[in-house]
Amino acid sequence: MALTTAPSPTVEPQRPARAPARRRGRGRGPRREGLAGYVFLSPWLLGLLGITAIPMLISLYLSFTDYEVLTPLNEVKWVGLANYRRMFTQDQSYWHAVQVTVKFALIAVPLKLAAALGVALLLNRERRGVGVFRGLFYLPSLLGSSVALAMIWRSMFNREGAVNGFLGIFGIQGQPWVNDPTWALGTLMVLAIWQFGAPMVIFLAGLKQIPTELYEAAAVDGAGRMRRFWHITLPMLSPVIFFNLVLETIHGFQGFTAAFVISGGTGGPIDSTLMYTLNLYIKGFTEYEMGYAAAMAWVFLAAIAVITAIFFSTGRYWVHYADGDDR
Amino acid sequence: MHPATSPAVTAQPARDHRTSRRALRALVAAVAVLPLALGSAACGNDNAGGPSPQSTDPVELSIFWWGGEGRAKLTEQALALYTTKHPNVTFKKTWQANQGYFDKLATLITGGDAPCIYQIDDNYLTEYADRGATLDLTSYKDSGKLDLTKFPESLWKYGVVDGKLAGVAFGENTQGLVYNKTLLQKNNLPEPTVGMSWEEFITWAENVSKVAKVPGTMDPSADYKAFWVWLRQQGKDLYKGKEPGFTEADVAAWFTLWKGARDRGATPTPDVIHEGNATDITKQLVVTGKAATSWVWVNQMPELKKNTKDELGVISYPGNPSAQWGRASMYLSVFKNCAAKDVAVDVINFLANDVEAGKVLGTDRGLPSNLDVRKAVNDSVTDPAMKLSIQVENELAGKFGQAPQVPPKGHSTMRSELIKAAENVQFNRATPEKAAADFLAVVKAALAK
Repeated sequence: MALTTAPSPTVEPQRPARAPARRRGRGRGPRREGLAGYVFLSPWLLGLLGITAIPMLISLYLSFTDYEVLTPLNEVKWVGLANYRRMFTQDQSYWHAVQVTVKFALIAVPLKLAAALGVALLLNRERRGVGVFRGLFYLPSLLGSSVALAMIWRSMFNREGAVNGFLGIFGIQGQPWVNDPTWALGTLMVLAIWQFGAPMVIFLAGLKQIPTELYEAAAVDGAGRMRRFWHITLPMLSPVIFFNLVLETIHGFQGFTAAFVISGGTGGPIDSTLMYTLNLYIKGFTEYEMGYAAAMAWVFLAAIAVITAIFFSTGRYWVHYADGDDR
Repeated sequence: MHPATSPAVTAQPARDHRTSRRALRALVAAVAVLPLALGSAACGNDNAGGPSPQSTDPVELSIFWWGGEGRAKLTEQALALYTTKHPNVTFKKTWQANQGYFDKLATLITGGDAPCIYQIDDNYLTEYADRGATLDLTSYKDSGKLDLTKFPESLWKYGVVDGKLAGVAFGENTQGLVYNKTLLQKNNLPEPTVGMSWEEFITWAENVSKVAKVPGTMDPSADYKAFWVWLRQQGKDLYKGKEPGFTEADVAAWFTLWKGARDRGATPTPDVIHEGNATDITKQLVVTGKAATSWVWVNQMPELKKNTKDELGVISYPGNPSAQWGRASMYLSVFKNCAAKDVAVDVINFLANDVEAGKVLGTDRGLPSNLDVRKAVNDSVTDPAMKLSIQVENELAGKFGQAPQVPPKGHSTMRSELIKAAENVQFNRATPEKAAADFLAVVKAALAK
């Protein structure tokens, strides 16, 4: 507050003088001003309406219809909750895909966060060349959901791939990873975990915010390294951990590209990589049941909203906001 | 806070509220109106055939197909031939690989940007015809504007769905068992022969595995076309109207046959079989060297040959070859609401029946449908792989049986479910009987939809 109020004496005399003048000139004052705001916002608003809001509402409508991709829209029939009923009571592949996705998220997300935090702790110390390492560790997540990366992964985790070649050096009998239903999903998890760069950078930023006095004081009081980690680093970092957890969970549920590319768009072998979004895509674009796919998308949205809400409601028990103490 | 700005601050919520309510109303209106607008736009021009082929007004026709670069080159040349004869007609050509083609085609049609002429195959023909995305070409055939008189009857009839001519068969092919000749010769092994029984074939493959140290054959239990031929040899069929033409016991017997072959070492390991199931034609096991034989369509020979240095041979699938038929390898269809239907049909008529165009296109899409063109191509072709596929298919043509019905809607689900069921057996996750029962239940549901 002290900082923001300081320059106000110089600004204060100008504003009242300017605002009435403008009001007189244009006649309608704040309304006008608001309108101008919307005009300036209009490119974004149009984009939001045209590309996000309207298509979303249409997809909500379509989720209650029997719409198939090739059906002309005027022949679409309203079927009420039939799509939702089918999803919850009849469609076995749907529940299988839910299972695959939950398994993927439950394993890959915590491991990814742990890897991100671990590497962030290592890279937090000032050392020669640490910037280079930060860059290198961040690199894989820049490649993000790239198709090329998934293709490289597929060839690396083939029976003749580089991974088995490497294991062979130690006399370990490799697996046909991506072509074996037991291992294929694990391969996708490893790919997801490997791309821990984005949460790592956020963790690094969070670590830099922790005041060093806390560590010094704790060290003076005889706290060991583990203790300082548990009682200073983790609590002080908890808002950042929370942020990363929410983001990565949503991200984990949405995994599509790698599963699509590695399984050739089928979710195979034997549906072992049939992630929720891939199943949705197959229903909508391969089997053309777009109404059903729309229903799946809305249930997905609701599920992610619920999971996020759960995170937020548990957050107050373990997320510690340091600045809150000042008030 | 600042006194002068406070009115604006207090006015904010009310104004916001008004605007958002108005915006919401506009939004709802837009959502309600948009489908109607799109719907009416899509069914705008329904009966007119557009400009006639004789007119000289400039026409641009969009055409969309799947295939490789070779096909693109040939198709572009043939279309250029049409343009030299009808300088007013130009083409907007789009092509891509087979994977993702039907996703894109459906999206184009839904988005109101449908190509006038598009390539399609029997996996999707019924799907598109049922939903009114194909123009019924019967009247053009009857008036002679579309000349199908030189086509084998069973071939053009394979484009009829529910009494409507939904597509013009563009090329004929049949199932082909491709084997690695070089590998067999190197190991002094005999080649497989036409008409050998499935048991004999599996014994042959087992022997190849032992001698050549390369699995004798790709396991085709997940391959619908092999299953189809085998069914026809048992007096069954893949479909009977809109229902499966086989029983649970048939599927179980088919899976058991190949389980036996795997146990005897005639086929590769399950993960390699999966590779064969999942990849496209260029990476079939016979060209990647992971098996001595693969199960393909005969017209795919040139494409296979491009991916291996070894010499390849091709014969019919095991069992009585009369279970095979001359299948339309693909069709060209016209979009129902194309603005220049008459010209589009004339283009297809030209591509199918003109000898010069036929010579350009060769056997890339299968043997030419028009028998006169086929003969001309046969006499002029130079590519040895093309030559071989023509020769094999001509030999088999005399033995062909009656063509089956065009697969019904739900066929693509059947195909992917067969792969799942077969792989469940291959990875020992289900017995042949259990996999067969699950498979049939899902297929019945998909076909009934």
